Amino acid sequence: MSTLNTRDLIINVPGRPDGFALNMSIEPGQVWGVLGPNGAGKTTLLHTLAGLLPARSGQVQLNSAPLTALKRRVIARQLGLVFQERQDSFPATVLETALIGRHPWLSPWDSEQGEDQRRAEQALTTLDVDHLSDRLLNTLSGGERQRVAIATLMTQNPNIWLLDEPTNHLDLHHQVKVMNLMRDQAGAGKTVFLCLHDLNLAARWCSHVLLLYTNGDACWGPVANMLVPDALERLYDQRLITLQADGLTVFVPAP
Amino acid sequence: MTRSLLGLGMLALASMAFALALGSVTVSPADLWQVIQGEGSTLHRTLLLDLRLPRTLAAFGTGGLLAVAGALMQVLLRNPLADPYVLGLSGGAAVGALLAMLMGMGTLIISGSAFAGAMLATVLVFGLAHGTGSWTPSRLLLTGVVVAAGWGAVITLMLAITPSYKLPGMLYWLMGDVSYARSPWPAVVVLAVSVVLIMPLARNLNVLARGAMQAAALGVSVRPLEWTIYVLASLLTATAVTTAGSIGFVGLIVPHMLRLILGNDQRIILPASALAGGTLLVLADTLARTVIAPEQLPVGVITALLGVPTFLYLLHRSR
Amino acid sequence: MVSHWLNFRFALGFLVAFLAHPTSASEMQRCAVDDTGKELCLSAPAQRVITLSPGATELMFAAGAGDKVMAVVNYSDYPPAALELPLIGSHTRVDMEALMALDPDLVVTWVTGNPPAQVELLDELGVPTFAIEPRTFAGVSSVIERLATLAGTELEGYAEAERFRVGIAALTQQYAGVEPIPVFYQVWEKPLMTVNNEHLIGKVLKLCGGVNVFGDMQRLIPRISAEVVLQADPDAILTGSVDGVSDDQLDEWKKYAGLTAVEKNNLFFVPASPISRPTPRLLDAIQTVCGKLESARENLESARENL
Repeated sequence: MSTLNTRDLIINVPGRPDGFALNMSIEPGQVWGVLGPNGAGKTTLLHTLAGLLPARSGQVQLNSAPLTALKRRVIARQLGLVFQERQDSFPATVLETALIGRHPWLSPWDSEQGEDQRRAEQALTTLDVDHLSDRLLNTLSGGERQRVAIATLMTQNPNIWLLDEPTNHLDLHHQVKVMNLMRDQAGAGKTVFLCLHDLNLAARWCSHVLLLYTNGDACWGPVANMLVPDALERLYDQRLITLQADGLTVFVPAP
Repeated sequence: MTRSLLGLGMLALASMAFALALGSVTVSPADLWQVIQGEGSTLHRTLLLDLRLPRTLAAFGTGGLLAVAGALMQVLLRNPLADPYVLGLSGGAAVGALLAMLMGMGTLIISGSAFAGAMLATVLVFGLAHGTGSWTPSRLLLTGVVVAAGWGAVITLMLAITPSYKLPGMLYWLMGDVSYARSPWPAVVVLAVSVVLIMPLARNLNVLARGAMQAAALGVSVRPLEWTIYVLASLLTATAVTTAGSIGFVGLIVPHMLRLILGNDQRIILPASALAGGTLLVLADTLARTVIAPEQLPVGVITALLGVPTFLYLLHRSR
Repeated sequence: MVSHWLNFRFALGFLVAFLAHPTSASEMQRCAVDDTGKELCLSAPAQRVITLSPGATELMFAAGAGDKVMAVVNYSDYPPAALELPLIGSHTRVDMEALMALDPDLVVTWVTGNPPAQVELLDELGVPTFAIEPRTFAGVSSVIERLATLAGTELEGYAEAERFRVGIAALTQQYAGVEPIPVFYQVWEKPLMTVNNEHLIGKVLKLCGGVNVFGDMQRLIPRISAEVVLQADPDAILTGSVDGVSDDQLDEWKKYAGLTAVEKNNLFFVPASPISRPTPRLLDAIQTVCGKLESARENLESARENL
């Protein structure tokens, strides 16, 4: 179980003046959703939390230790990231890709053992891509590749899960499945932090929400406090209609 | 994993035996055996120990160097079409060598100049790519391609202004020729040491091949690793080109072929490339010097003739 | 004739000198300095010779040692007997194994023709090498004599060298007073190449009273543009072709009606082989070129008369 803390964190969005300083405590059992329009800095924030980008000011702490003081390998055992954009990479099979997740746990001389193999296969099964094990990654659809990426994170099995719009490209069935997975993992003691495009997903599955505005403003807190029509309309510059059905709150753009 | 490497190892030894046994002059197995035992006629001893053995070792070393360098470049640039020369290394070496030839220097200085040229090319591309801020594969590739084109222009200029009698020597250097190798030991030693040094990094390379950001997220120190690969690949290529001029195809095709057969694990691909690249060049060189003897062919022609159909076949089969 | 008498005198003189010395082979060290300044000493006359350039082959035969040559490289086509000899590759890629198998006691190389790497390999393997490349008429005679010394064919070789010397002297005298005529020698058409006065072809032109319009250029074989040829406007243009038969290599110049050489019909072909190799065949080449330049002068003369 691990906690991610931000202390007066101001992320570095090139060309934009300093935003609101973030002081969040992202704890085990929580599912955080980050909402905001394009360009608000959601991806930048995620990468900064993962230690891949330097902050403009302030600190990110992993279990009270500043991220910048930790070795990459140590970080990788605690924290894992699913990227939004697929990077240019070499051809590999689905199983090979998932197995890569075990890297932080293996020394240069170890080869992947049965246990590692088992974890990878289980992860692939959970994400419904086990039948594609031997297929080359670049022959898959966008949605299938997305699920393989999540399976890789699952194979890595860090305490902190960071995901950048994991439901992109996924059909409805798999969107629900993935969000349920997030909730289950949090329930098992993981710390989950996602960027989301769809605020209804946040409304239904997240325990906490961070709103990031284009101008750098931010506010965060438990989901019930955050998903207020005023704040959301300002966030998306779009009037919304709030609907209630079967105990669920749903927001749709107003005509 | 070990089985395929063992198989390749056997193939490598077989190819070297083949190379030692074949030549314009027939040496029977009995004579071969005599020489190994320390006896045999002077002619046979000269043929085997002074001509065929150094040449075979030089071919193996050079082929191995090029294949491993190619494999490393392909990971570094995340591009299956990368070869050891794509960043202008052979261009720099060529300019160094041709300059030395133009000034009428001896073979030792020509080799030294080639090596210096290759290293200069490395530093140049490194500096240019680094200076522009982001050292991404596409940027590195672009910088390298442009610099390589620049070297090409310099080479063309040198060929244009050189006195006619120096041209054949320069052209043969550019085509690559194992027979010009003065000593096989730099190539063989650098190959052996490099493969041993790179094995601990092989797993990291597997991760790097998935993408730099992904690798960083999985705990790889990306920038230092990329620099290490870049310098190592440059060293390997510089040694190869200094030994036998710029021989094409081996660096591009061998790692690629191996990937089609053996998969993507660099822990297998790197040593396999060393063995397979060496084997390919030994076979090609043997053919180059025997197939229409006493006429001697440039080895690059044979590597192309051998490599291209084999590669196309494998590509077709892997579909 | 003067030349025959000189020949005989020389041969006689040599015979006397030869007989005056003890002739045990082991005592007679044969030494000669090659064209790179390196001295080679053989303890016995070379019997198993390999030549690594067509010029070397021809000069070996001129030295009277043709029957000692075991193998040659591509294009060793003169004298005709050389065509019968087995090949061991090209001058840039020699089949080392075949060479070593023949166990030569002398390998004659060409200074700028063979790759240094291959010559070094021969030296490392302990094979005696002798690098030649005559650049002057005197150099041709000298190299024939040195090769003859190494091969033990002094009688024939020295005689041939003397014949060449005398021949050059005679031709020089014959054409000493001719009217100078500006001339351009085209070595190659594309790219356009010529020679300067240091080149043997340049010396041939000079002997015949030709004034090489590019004689003062720095490089031995300069690459030039058509423009400078038009500017120089030579009275005659010569080029080499197979057997001196006219072909299309000078057709480009016919476009320029204003060129004196074209106007006066002074475009000539000479046999390429004799003029391009530094061998005794230069005597034939000189006679051919001098003849062509004579015709050129006649054409100019008749054109002037017709005015």
